[in-house]
Amino acid sequence: MEYTVETFDLTKVFKGEKEGGKRLSVKAVDHVNIKVRRGEFFGLLGPNGAGKTTLIKILCTIIIPTEGTATVNGFDILKEPEKVRSSFGWFHGETGGRSLYWRLNAEDNLKFYAYLQNVPRELAKKRIDALLDFFELSKDRHKLVKEYSTGMKVRVMLARALIHNPPILFMDEPTIGLDTISAVETRKLLKALSVELGKTIVFTSHNMYEVEQLCERIAIMKDGRIIADSSPSILRDMLTDIKAIEVEIKECWSHEEIIGMLANLSIVKKVSETRNESNGLVIRLQVDDEYEAIPIVAERLRSRGVKVASILQVKPSLEDIFVRLTRGETS
Amino acid sequence: MNLKDLIDLFRDEGRNNSSNLIHIWAVFWANFKIFLSYRTWVITETLSTIASIIMYFFMGLQVDAQRLVEAGYGCISWLSFALVGIASENYLWMCISRISHSMQHEVREGTLEPIIASPIRLSSYIIGQSIRGFITSSYFMLGVLIVGIFVLRTPLMVGPENLLSFLVILLAMVASYMGIGITAAGIILVYKRGDPLTFLFASITEFLGGVLFPLNYLKDYPILWTLAWLMPYTYALDALRRVLLTGATLASPDVLKDLTILGIYAIIFIPIGLKVFRWGCDRIRDEGTVATY
Amino acid sequence: MNSKSIIDLLSEEVPRKKTPIYEVIGSFILRDFKIWWTYKFWLTLDISGSILFVATYYIFSMITTPERIQEAGYTTGGYFTFALIGIAFQRYVFFAVQSINESIREEQWNGTMETILSSATDFKTFLLGETSFFFIASSAFLLITLFTGILLGATFNATPYSILSSIVLSILLIASHMAIGILSAGIIMKTKQGNPLTWAFSWMTQLVSGVFYPLKLLPWYLEWVGRIFPLTYSLDGIRLCLQAGKDLLNPVVLYDALNLLLFTIIATPIALYLFRKGYDAARADGSLGQY
Repeated sequence: MEYTVETFDLTKVFKGEKEGGKRLSVKAVDHVNIKVRRGEFFGLLGPNGAGKTTLIKILCTIIIPTEGTATVNGFDILKEPEKVRSSFGWFHGETGGRSLYWRLNAEDNLKFYAYLQNVPRELAKKRIDALLDFFELSKDRHKLVKEYSTGMKVRVMLARALIHNPPILFMDEPTIGLDTISAVETRKLLKALSVELGKTIVFTSHNMYEVEQLCERIAIMKDGRIIADSSPSILRDMLTDIKAIEVEIKECWSHEEIIGMLANLSIVKKVSETRNESNGLVIRLQVDDEYEAIPIVAERLRSRGVKVASILQVKPSLEDIFVRLTRGETS
Repeated sequence: MNLKDLIDLFRDEGRNNSSNLIHIWAVFWANFKIFLSYRTWVITETLSTIASIIMYFFMGLQVDAQRLVEAGYGCISWLSFALVGIASENYLWMCISRISHSMQHEVREGTLEPIIASPIRLSSYIIGQSIRGFITSSYFMLGVLIVGIFVLRTPLMVGPENLLSFLVILLAMVASYMGIGITAAGIILVYKRGDPLTFLFASITEFLGGVLFPLNYLKDYPILWTLAWLMPYTYALDALRRVLLTGATLASPDVLKDLTILGIYAIIFIPIGLKVFRWGCDRIRDEGTVATY
Repeated sequence: MNSKSIIDLLSEEVPRKKTPIYEVIGSFILRDFKIWWTYKFWLTLDISGSILFVATYYIFSMITTPERIQEAGYTTGGYFTFALIGIAFQRYVFFAVQSINESIREEQWNGTMETILSSATDFKTFLLGETSFFFIASSAFLLITLFTGILLGATFNATPYSILSSIVLSILLIASHMAIGILSAGIIMKTKQGNPLTWAFSWMTQLVSGVFYPLKLLPWYLEWVGRIFPLTYSLDGIRLCLQAGKDLLNPVVLYDALNLLLFTIIATPIALYLFRKGYDAARADGSLGQY
């Protein structure tokens, strides 16, 4: 068995609310075929409502598909749901800490799921200690979950997904609601689980930086369909028509005026501004030919007394690709 | 704990074979702990139980003792007559509503999804919740009986043989209603709102079962009379009263007859309940509304 | 989504004036009614529950003797009419208080409470809006319960004056229990645990307010506890009006009415103050929207 997660024309149609005597149905997942290899870190992207969560819930056997089927860890989700259920750990960030027993403490929550997942008692204890320690919940382990902050609840839920050491992890927005440091730690953990222990990870996120950093392969969903499925670098090559340069400003008199001035240049198609890590101003210019544009922009800025830290040619980011694909623009 | 140690810990696969007993225990244990966390609720509920028994004591002061004699119960106080009814009706209600209540909670709190996504079997879940229900309702029933017997000095026949018969009838009573409780839980899964049991169950059993008055008085209304004897509770209460008020035991033919009927109800309704529950589970998995409230 | 058009829309100057209070309360009532109406099924069940309850006491009354009731001065109707009035009004009050609590909990659970209180509505209007509808709804319930009793053969002894007096007493009953409703709502906001309190309240009143038996049957200390609750006075007054044809000119009925008035005058400001405190406390620890 080469693929740990494989779907075959997986389709889910939800019957919607009745409106004017007509039942509107929504195709949340539309003939999806994905294949995820053992140990692969697989990213599933898409705008809200694209069907990512439904797809993952189908794989978790929580939703029954209308059509098609899938295998998880070699077991068919329709024929052997019990076996599927002990093969994965599931995290669902959207619930924001619901889905835990608020009137139990973190330790008891984890214990409960460990027992449901048939983890031997001793091992469960060891893992609970380790996970609580890793997620920095040790000192609050006896507090009821209802007193936890959202970030703490999310961490308990992450620990719960791992407690039975499953070969497959469905991580639906695992860093939602986490502060920066916990998010970094979580990403490191997921990467290590994938690299060192060969876990298969299906991952969704709206944070493109995170996706780019972690995923070996990315599928982009829109309206229930997979519209792209490839490695980040191949996806990037699809957008060679986007050419841009980034100007990092060191010192200037008024950045509105600079942006206005650059926007008026005939070679510039579009201007946008961002901030870099040290909160410096970065102006991004979309151009037809970056080699022609760089000297012109540099000269113009110098003549107005603007101090420039750097001018770089940029490759399109994953975000560019994502926006382009999901907006349905064609190159 | 650093990342490396954590990863090393997870290198070891260790897993037991699936055990239903452990699952049942886990469900029971977690839910019992949750029950204990509602301390204020437990206290106020205990107090209201005591208050209600005292209330029935005063109500009994207005009862014409002659009417009970006429109804064939002999010369007994109305309170002992009513106490058996109140205690058993309360007990039944708490046991039966346990599963549907917990379903409502699990849906509302979003904890049902992780349960469905884990390898526990539905029947294990139901059994675990039921055990929790038995234990907590027994606490309240004991409260009723203790206040009735020791504080209000209600005469009841409590010998070892009576008590054994009492327990057996209670079990049979709960079993005969189990199917209905599971059905209600299945319906709640799908329709989310409100517990169809909550509203009418208690009032219907109290009225038709003859908790507060001898059932003879319903004889003038043939429809009500028939409906009353369609309810398993009526048989259970009849048997319980025979045991606690007149000193009958399991060996008495009337009690045996009642028990048999309760058994038949259990055999018919539990499988139906499980079917409805399974239908409910599949339906919400189909609609994708497991955690939608 | 176009952010510019939204900015344009919001930057338009709209002259603001205060919405009249009756419009605000009207909108609350309309909203609650719409929510309530979606539970038609459960509503029917609720009504059937009341009917069954009355039926239970109808049969129960067959094994009672009317002597104690008559001794207490309620001359007509016997135990059934006595219990019917008790049940109807006790449920009335309980239903109203519980609904208020429930709607506050619902608001907290759905997170709509924070939205409403952060909009320009002040908290007294909020409270009045929250409670008005449930008093209207529970009045409907009350009438249904009484009507069921009459169908089953409850008999009354009333004059036009005594009916009028019992309506006055009912209004005083509402006013006095408004305070209790507000108080428990305030406690809920802080503790997030209202139901046990309402239930305890319900059982206390059933025990000592003379819902099922005349107060005289109680030992003196419980009788005294009973005198704390406004329900006790209301039931006594209403029963004297409807079962014995007395009216407000009768000193006992008047005494009951004055007691209710006194309770309302004292309890309402205290309840408002405590609600305010609960509300502020919830805001202070940031748990307004928490469940």
